[in-house]
Amino acid sequence: MLNKASTPAEKIVKVLGYIFMAVCLIVALFPIVWVIMSSFKSNKEIMANGLALPTSFAFTGYQEALKIAPILKFFGNSVIITCCSTCINVLSLAMAGYIFAKKRFRGREVLYAILSISLMIPMTSVLHPVYLIINKLGLYDTKAALVLVYSALSMPMSLMILRSTFEGIPTSLEEAAYVDGAGFVRTFFQIMLPCAKGGLASAAVLAFLDGWNEFTFALLLTSSDKARTLPLALSYFSSQFSFNYTAMFAAITIAVIPSIVLFAIFQEQVVSSMTAGSVKG
Amino acid sequence: MKKILAAFLSATMLLGLLAGCGGGSASSGAASSSSGSGAAASSGSGKEIVINYPTFQVGVNTSAPVISALVEGFNEKYAGQYKIVVEEVPGDANYAEKIQVMISTGSLPPVVYGGGYKLLDLALAQDLVVDLTPYVEADPEWKAQYNDASMAANARDGKIYASSMEGSLVGYFYNKDLFAQAGIDAAPKTWDEFFADCDKLIAAGITPMAMDTADGAWCSQLMMGAMIATSGDEGLAFMNTKYPTDYNQDVVVKAVEKLQWLYQNCTTLDAVGGAYENAANNFYTENVAIIANGPWMIGDFSDTTLVEEGFNEKVGVAAYPGGFVYDEPIEGMFVTKQSDPALEEAAIAMVRYFTSDEAQEMALNMQGMVPASPTAEISDEALSTFPLLGDFLSQAAECELRSPTFTSNMVPGLESEWSNNLPNLATGNISAADLCQILSNFAASAQ
Repeated sequence: MLNKASTPAEKIVKVLGYIFMAVCLIVALFPIVWVIMSSFKSNKEIMANGLALPTSFAFTGYQEALKIAPILKFFGNSVIITCCSTCINVLSLAMAGYIFAKKRFRGREVLYAILSISLMIPMTSVLHPVYLIINKLGLYDTKAALVLVYSALSMPMSLMILRSTFEGIPTSLEEAAYVDGAGFVRTFFQIMLPCAKGGLASAAVLAFLDGWNEFTFALLLTSSDKARTLPLALSYFSSQFSFNYTAMFAAITIAVIPSIVLFAIFQEQVVSSMTAGSVKG
Repeated sequence: MKKILAAFLSATMLLGLLAGCGGGSASSGAASSSSGSGAAASSGSGKEIVINYPTFQVGVNTSAPVISALVEGFNEKYAGQYKIVVEEVPGDANYAEKIQVMISTGSLPPVVYGGGYKLLDLALAQDLVVDLTPYVEADPEWKAQYNDASMAANARDGKIYASSMEGSLVGYFYNKDLFAQAGIDAAPKTWDEFFADCDKLIAAGITPMAMDTADGAWCSQLMMGAMIATSGDEGLAFMNTKYPTDYNQDVVVKAVEKLQWLYQNCTTLDAVGGAYENAANNFYTENVAIIANGPWMIGDFSDTTLVEEGFNEKVGVAAYPGGFVYDEPIEGMFVTKQSDPALEEAAIAMVRYFTSDEAQEMALNMQGMVPASPTAEISDEALSTFPLLGDFLSQAAECELRSPTFTSNMVPGLESEWSNNLPNLATGNISAADLCQILSNFAASAQ
């Protein structure tokens, strides 16, 4: 590119562009910064002026948060449950996405539509049946119950992402593998799956976030600390006539940091896979 | 082979669906004790019976220390015989949601605390509740705890199903310093004086009332309900009616009109859309002079993470103008039907222990919780720990007019409708008559 002196109009556009980006940055960062900042303020300061800076940087909120609720135990449970459900979800939906993308069979579109449409089923309508199934399976108050439910909850989104990912991989690759003597399973695991890394990461991140933030089933399907997850811990800090916002914001900070870090690391894959297959030609 | 596999998978999915959706019909009898949903595990004759007790009274809930002490005391008293295992369900609304799902699936834990969530009626509708009448009749001390108010909260059709552990005697608090700045010497005795005092506060540049609209508008509805109850016999009768269906009564419409005036002239901007926390904070930070709430708030007046040092010295307490206080034992604990009779016996023993006079006196001493039982003693220890409570109890003793709160009498679901429409009332988008019509329509359809 040639180095040319910018015209005043170009300079204005450039400045406006930076201003726009700065506004976007502030909008995106404000809630995170506000929560972290509030975790250092007293209840009085939070309620009196939510936007003011804390008068001191005491860690009492974090100490209280850890004392009031078993956050670390719940954190460990969340990690185990969410990682397991994400792996199951991505592996099984990768298989399904591959078949829907590359194989032709009768009823394919109908089946795909049925699976996708489950995205629109409100969660409250499945509470009762899921609760009964989990009880009948003897999985109440186990991590396995939540792993099972979370694996299924993200199914439609993962399926859509992975199908479009596999559609974007040239069929000639698959055919070449078959010509070289690879079987169906080997072709899928050794040829197609590595090519779909972007989509897999994207589906995994979204499934992870769904599981990490889920509250209702975690409340309904568990009764003890051994299987409860982090979102439940946040309810320990407010009740009808009492509240401890300092500890609550500290607990929120502990709860959201892993999600933010994960998204920051994989954001490129998430964005690129969400738009994969949207442009053809 | 593929077809067989496909058929097998389809059958599995179908069975799963049937298992999930079909189980509810079996809920009319005993609550299942085999599910791990919170129903207790009893371990046979001669062994310790375990009572799994889900509760929201954990975390920052003001009753958490009391429940913890009661569980400890019960487990000590019945060591080797019964044992309570607490299931923490943090958050009042979360608890209600979980119990409602359990009611619909017929898998309730042995003991349920009704609280303010109308859980007793929901469980009774599914025939899941044990009739406590013979047990209460056989125990004179237990029977003495049931006065008219307690019967209204815990009995249905003459049968006793629940036992209260906490009363709900509610007046209002005011900031004596702000009253003095406005030239007000004492709490008003009549509603005319009350509204005149509001004018004086406004004239002095002080916002009179802490109000809210969210979560049932607790503080606002207390003030409005008091106006209805003190408007005459008709109003008092309305406030003592469980599940009223007609809100288009003159006394109610007039009180709602006054509530609208208070929203528009006497409160803070954050009242519209605000919840209890906002109202409480406005009182704590001396932005407003009055808040309607119960004695459980007294402890907060000395909590320096919420208020300035010495704030408790500025607070006064009063019964409502016209000599009225809210007096309603909170719907108590009930025992659910279990397949194991020994577990039911254990659950009854737990309810008896938790709602005994001794337990209520301990709750009063520890947290200033007003006893539901008329036979529980108000100790000097409690009065010295919570002097404001002593002042309020002596004022309340002189009040002849009493009733439950406006929202506690509403049919299930109406409280949300009420709360959702209050911002429109406050901003003048709907009139008092419109709101009463909305409430009447909802209540009638719910019946």
